[in-house]
Amino acid sequence: MMRQKTLFIVPYLLWIVLFVLAPLILIFYQSLYNINGQFTLDNYTTYLTSGVYLKMTFNSVWYAFLITLVTLVISYPTAYVLNRLHNKQFWLLLVILPTWINLLLKTYAFIGLFSRTGSINQFLRFVGLGSHQLLFTDASFMFVAAYIEIPFMVLPIFNSLAEINPSLINASKDLGASQWQTFTKVIWPLSMPGVKAGIQAVFIPSLSLFMITRLIGGNRVITLGTAIEEHFLTTQNWGMGSTIGVVLIIAMFIVMFATGEAKQKGGHTR
Amino acid sequence: MKKHHFSWSGLYLTIVFIILYAPIVYLVVYSFSAGTTMEKYHGFSLRHYADLFADTRMITIVFNTLIVALLAALIATIVGTLGALAIKETRGKVRNSLLSLNNVLMVSPDVIIGASFLIFFTMLGIRLGFVSVLLSHIAFCIPIVVLMVLPKLNELSPTLVDAAYDLGASRWQALSQVILPAITPGIGAGFFMVLTYSLDDFAVTFFVTGNGFSTLSVEIYSRARQGINLEINALSALMLLASLLLVGGYYLISKHGGRRHRVIAVKEGDAQ
Amino acid sequence: MTENIMEFRHVGKQYDDNVVLRDINFKIEAGKFYTLLGPSGSGKTTILRLIAGFDQPTSGEIYFAGQEINDVPANRRQVNTVFQDYALFPHMNVAENVAFGLQIKGVKKSEIKRRVDEALQLVQLAGYGAREITAMSGGQRQRVAIARAIVNEPQVLLLDEALSALDHKLRVQMQTELRQLQRKLGITFIFVTHDQEEALAMSDQIMIINDGKIQQSGTPVDIYDEPLNHFVADFIGESNIVPGIMKKDYLVAINGQDFKCVDAGMRPNERVEVVIRPEDLDITTVEQGQLVGTVDTQLFRGVDYQITVHDVRDHVWKINSIHKTTVGARVGISFDPEDIHVMRYNETEADFDARLDSYEEGE
Repeated sequence: MMRQKTLFIVPYLLWIVLFVLAPLILIFYQSLYNINGQFTLDNYTTYLTSGVYLKMTFNSVWYAFLITLVTLVISYPTAYVLNRLHNKQFWLLLVILPTWINLLLKTYAFIGLFSRTGSINQFLRFVGLGSHQLLFTDASFMFVAAYIEIPFMVLPIFNSLAEINPSLINASKDLGASQWQTFTKVIWPLSMPGVKAGIQAVFIPSLSLFMITRLIGGNRVITLGTAIEEHFLTTQNWGMGSTIGVVLIIAMFIVMFATGEAKQKGGHTR
Repeated sequence: MKKHHFSWSGLYLTIVFIILYAPIVYLVVYSFSAGTTMEKYHGFSLRHYADLFADTRMITIVFNTLIVALLAALIATIVGTLGALAIKETRGKVRNSLLSLNNVLMVSPDVIIGASFLIFFTMLGIRLGFVSVLLSHIAFCIPIVVLMVLPKLNELSPTLVDAAYDLGASRWQALSQVILPAITPGIGAGFFMVLTYSLDDFAVTFFVTGNGFSTLSVEIYSRARQGINLEINALSALMLLASLLLVGGYYLISKHGGRRHRVIAVKEGDAQ
Repeated sequence: MTENIMEFRHVGKQYDDNVVLRDINFKIEAGKFYTLLGPSGSGKTTILRLIAGFDQPTSGEIYFAGQEINDVPANRRQVNTVFQDYALFPHMNVAENVAFGLQIKGVKKSEIKRRVDEALQLVQLAGYGAREITAMSGGQRQRVAIARAIVNEPQVLLLDEALSALDHKLRVQMQTELRQLQRKLGITFIFVTHDQEEALAMSDQIMIINDGKIQQSGTPVDIYDEPLNHFVADFIGESNIVPGIMKKDYLVAINGQDFKCVDAGMRPNERVEVVIRPEDLDITTVEQGQLVGTVDTQLFRGVDYQITVHDVRDHVWKINSIHKTTVGARVGISFDPEDIHVMRYNETEADFDARLDSYEEGE
């Protein structure tokens, strides 16, 4: 019996060791080597002292913050309204459906929409606003990123709203709260776990985006993701790329820790 | 008063849905245009579909992508199911650490996975190409299968297995005749889910693909960097159709098991 | 005398094509304990929701303190509710939950604290303010829910199946406490339940609801002793309900055998239903029995024995007796004229009251 159990777990453990632990260790290991293959802490010193990298990190965090904010502002009301519909599961499915369509294709569509003579500019000219350079701007990059992320924000918020016991809302009204008071004092705090999960699902990918950045934002290094891609695939400076990767991993843990607190509180009380 | 309120929220939702679907519709509509740009519709034509089917490089890449996806999904489903069965047997701390390790690839950004796998393959001396892409896809698909199968296993009443033993089943018989049939919906849903993950993946593949081998996502990326090419529109219309069929198949399978929420939620890893 | 604080006039409620309430009329006096009693789906909870303001009636008017309140939203009614699932806010602790209504009203902090403490004291939860809801047992949550409602000093407190989630022992204890609390506060309680024992134990007035209509209303004793129709007799307590013929005033025939009774005011030879409570039937010797039969079953229930006897006409009688008998024995069944209660078919509550008055005055 014992042997059979062991056999079961062998391929899975092999996967953990080879594809989970080893790569993680390797990226830390690689970050300690410079471009000439010498063991050194230079990468970290460069990262921390040259303003370029810090500024890039700051920009990346700032963009990710803006993308997350825009996504949240669009998604919360969407999730809220969806929740009050009759066939809410069906409508939710319609929000989710675009995530099943290849990401590249959705991004590609925006190249056409945003181009100098594309549909958006045609529309702008039509309403008399004139044509503008849309592609390769920060705004278009953020719009497309938000577009891609909306379903991933709507879904957790929708779920946490759907879990709210309707009698809590009745109780709030019964105790004299207006619709707005009920929202701020009951619905919003109770949907926080969904909001936090949504922020987690959007913020980290927004930090590491490089495909949308390249196609819509142009040939600029504006996120941690583009920096890593550039160092690994263009300048071949794997050490520096790994160093930025380590920074990204740390940033990921910070976000997860910051958005994980809601669950902590629930567990704490018991 | 109430009607008024409804119309505002209805309007808002309509706008959101238009934003969500406009780019997709836009792509498909232009795939049937006789022109060569996504600026002006030049009348109905199937010429871009004809171009697409005559493009042998693209056809090869489609086959590459499908082979990688099917193989990766199949192997990941087997390993992942075994993993879920193994995790089910563990308790307490061991179980928690296994689950945490399982989730590492789920939460890691794709660039990190791609970059670290690139280092890994280079160190092992594995040549970048079909093998490295397939191994990477298997690797990031396994945790998804585990997360899809484990809830099904947890739903199983423990007395069900006891009953099988009580009626004289061996361990293997209990597994093959009681446990596996009961978790088949989870396994099937897991297979479909990772199939779409593999088909859709760009970032990880981009890092480990090397020069000689390409998948659809990578090919679309390199063509999109050159600008508009309506052959891509034709391709996207076909892929849209394929995804809809996959979604349909997936829902048909997962409906038997019922766990829609969890299943949709898992797709979150795709966010980049 | 007490005044009417609330009134329903011809209230009806419909969801799409589904009629839930039809022509509901009643008055609620201030300071009494009312119970809306009925099976699930009878419409009793809908009445409560109409009072609380979660729903609006499709027809008729609801008055509160002399004002029509049909369109007054829930948050502006002087009514508070204890919900079936308690509906305590999980993101707030006990004191925050209780303070919610006062905070909304903008009551001063010091005053809130005083009143919250007072309310918690009243439900015997003094000192529990800082606890999280998840750390409270079912019975304690129930008390928090009550404190959260009464702290707002409502004129009417609504309780929706408030005790149904508690185990039997706790439920009986809470019945007593609720009754005491109502007397202490002197406000109107409207309690919704499907449990007839609970209704009988606590209420000043019971309204029995079925099929979207009030079947009968009155004090627990009235309803128990003089049920208006088959439904009420069957729903409240245990009963033997047998068809009969009212030969003349004070004489009824059951299964062809005549019995003296205390009911009157019906047409001669009118077909009626006769109710005899199992505890009013006594087992005696064959000679002394008004009915004679054979014991079929006997169950010991702690306080008494539940016995079934079939008589010579094969009618089965339910008897609750503190004395033991033997299965298979031939026994007599005896009862007094007062134990018989006669019900007419399709009699309305108003007609029933009028008929009762007519012959009781004549006596």
